[in-house]
Amino acid sequence: MKLFYLVKKELIEIVRQKELLVLMFIAPVIQIIILGYVISTDIRHVPVGIVNLAKGQAAGQIIQRVRQTQLFNVRVLSDRSEDYLYLLKKGEVKTVLIFRDALDRKRSVQKYPEVQILMDGMDSNTSMIAAGYFNGIIKNYILNDMEKLGQGLPLSGQAVFRFNPQLRSINYMGPGIVGFLLTIITMFLTSASMVREKEQQTLDTLLISPLSTLEIYIGKALPAALIGLADMVIGLVVVVLWFGIPFRGNLFYLFLASLVYLAAILSYALLISVLSATTQQAMFFAWFSLMIFLLMSGFFTPVDNIPPLLRVLADINPLRYLIKIIREIFLKGNSIAFFWKDLLVLSGIALTLMSISLLNFKRFISK
Amino acid sequence: MSAPALAAITVSDLSKNFGHFQAVKGISFTVAPGEIVGFLGPNGAGKTTTIKMITGLLKITSGTVLIGGLDNRKHLAAIKKKLGYMSQKFSLYPLLTAMENIEFFGGISGLPPAELRLHMARMEEQVASDILGQKIQDVPPGIRQKVALFVCLMPEPEIILLDEPTSGVDPEARRLFWNELYGLKKHGKTLLVSTHNLDEAEYCDRIIIIHNGEIVACGEPEELLRQKGKVNIEELFKDAIQEHGQN
Repeated sequence: MKLFYLVKKELIEIVRQKELLVLMFIAPVIQIIILGYVISTDIRHVPVGIVNLAKGQAAGQIIQRVRQTQLFNVRVLSDRSEDYLYLLKKGEVKTVLIFRDALDRKRSVQKYPEVQILMDGMDSNTSMIAAGYFNGIIKNYILNDMEKLGQGLPLSGQAVFRFNPQLRSINYMGPGIVGFLLTIITMFLTSASMVREKEQQTLDTLLISPLSTLEIYIGKALPAALIGLADMVIGLVVVVLWFGIPFRGNLFYLFLASLVYLAAILSYALLISVLSATTQQAMFFAWFSLMIFLLMSGFFTPVDNIPPLLRVLADINPLRYLIKIIREIFLKGNSIAFFWKDLLVLSGIALTLMSISLLNFKRFISK
Repeated sequence: MSAPALAAITVSDLSKNFGHFQAVKGISFTVAPGEIVGFLGPNGAGKTTTIKMITGLLKITSGTVLIGGLDNRKHLAAIKKKLGYMSQKFSLYPLLTAMENIEFFGGISGLPPAELRLHMARMEEQVASDILGQKIQDVPPGIRQKVALFVCLMPEPEIILLDEPTSGVDPEARRLFWNELYGLKKHGKTLLVSTHNLDEAEYCDRIIIIHNGEIVACGEPEELLRQKGKVNIEELFKDAIQEHGQN
């Protein structure tokens, strides 16, 4: 019952701060929508320059195909030799396609032209993907020709994309954003909670009350957990309804994983709260941690790309496991049979963090 | 021959160090049940540190504190039930209304809901409900002080520790406040009140003057004035501090 009054007090304090309410419930919606569009890794409308020095039909037909696709936006089309590097340097185009006639030993023009693809390697990811698309267009063109002659490639792999057939990057990023949202809200709400008590000089009366350390600890964590879960529901609704991301799994598993994750992240935030001397320190610490959590979570880039030395940080990062589980539940519709190992590791991290946090919390209270 | 009454508070050779700085230097005193003791001293004298050690909020470096005969390092949970504590700045939640503060503190003290409602109704009899419905940060300091004392008294503690409860309130509110403390004394409560307002010493059964972490005078105000040949507490205070400085 005593805990009820503490939770109620915490919730009243949050509700009374109108700006905070906006930040907690309106900002996440805006954040998801903006993030959903901005952090897409899909390639579209890549600015392209085409220099066609070939006289054959094939070059023209391939150029026609390049122009028809939405992936590229042909900004420069020329039949004279250009300063290709200058075009890239100017930033007007990110790719230059150069078509030249291919000649045999007798200097006669071949059916297919020579194609050179010049890429702006500054944005390596886009360049690699765009180069792949170009090669795909050329390969398809040749295949069409071969089919007309009743021929085909002796060996060809047929890619079938399951779980995200349209290869929409938002389908991959959206569920991750939900996990990120859960982190950002709970981390900032909780990391300053004990420091605030100290700063507004209410800590002493709280500590001298019959509330036990555990009751204070839970009383501080529970309101943030409730708000975090409410935000998660908002996040789920936005990614499913606004972005049309399919939810194929079981909501129960999603909430189960989120609850375990909340135990971990709230313990960490409460640890920040007792280790910080001021709210400013707590906020800085929370922001720094959030960046590390995010970069080491596989949210933007695969965890496998992280160098082995830093991989340790990723391995103990609870957000990594939550994002993996959420993505599996969302897109693959996986049940616990598939992700129990991740859930187990996440539970281990949560238990460890909770122990460290509680220990420090007790030390803070008995100072 | 009857046994001497057990002191409400017994402080023996109490010290507190913050790193190399010694804030309280081996002080000893007792507070008898039903007594009002004034804990006087300038800012930084060690009043709050001592009170916080008595409540168990601060770890004791050396010495002992007994509350009703119980060592506060061994029996803190039992002692918490006996103690009422009102800290500096009233320690209320600024975003909660006066009534919500009362409900919160009563609730975490473990008061049953029915009893809590009775307390809240009692407060409504004393202060207009529109004021009680305002955020505590927006109500006058006198009301804040009243609410702070009210929440401190709700669990009906035997011993009440008040840390500078009259700072920042006007003289009339101070006078009314001390009247309330007198009422508590009549009900057998023990009070240790820290203050740097020297004129408040006249309300106390005994005063303890503390300076630089050491007790420089202790006794009944009238008796101390007579002993030192002073006409008022201010002179007595200055003299005690000066004497202490020379030593």
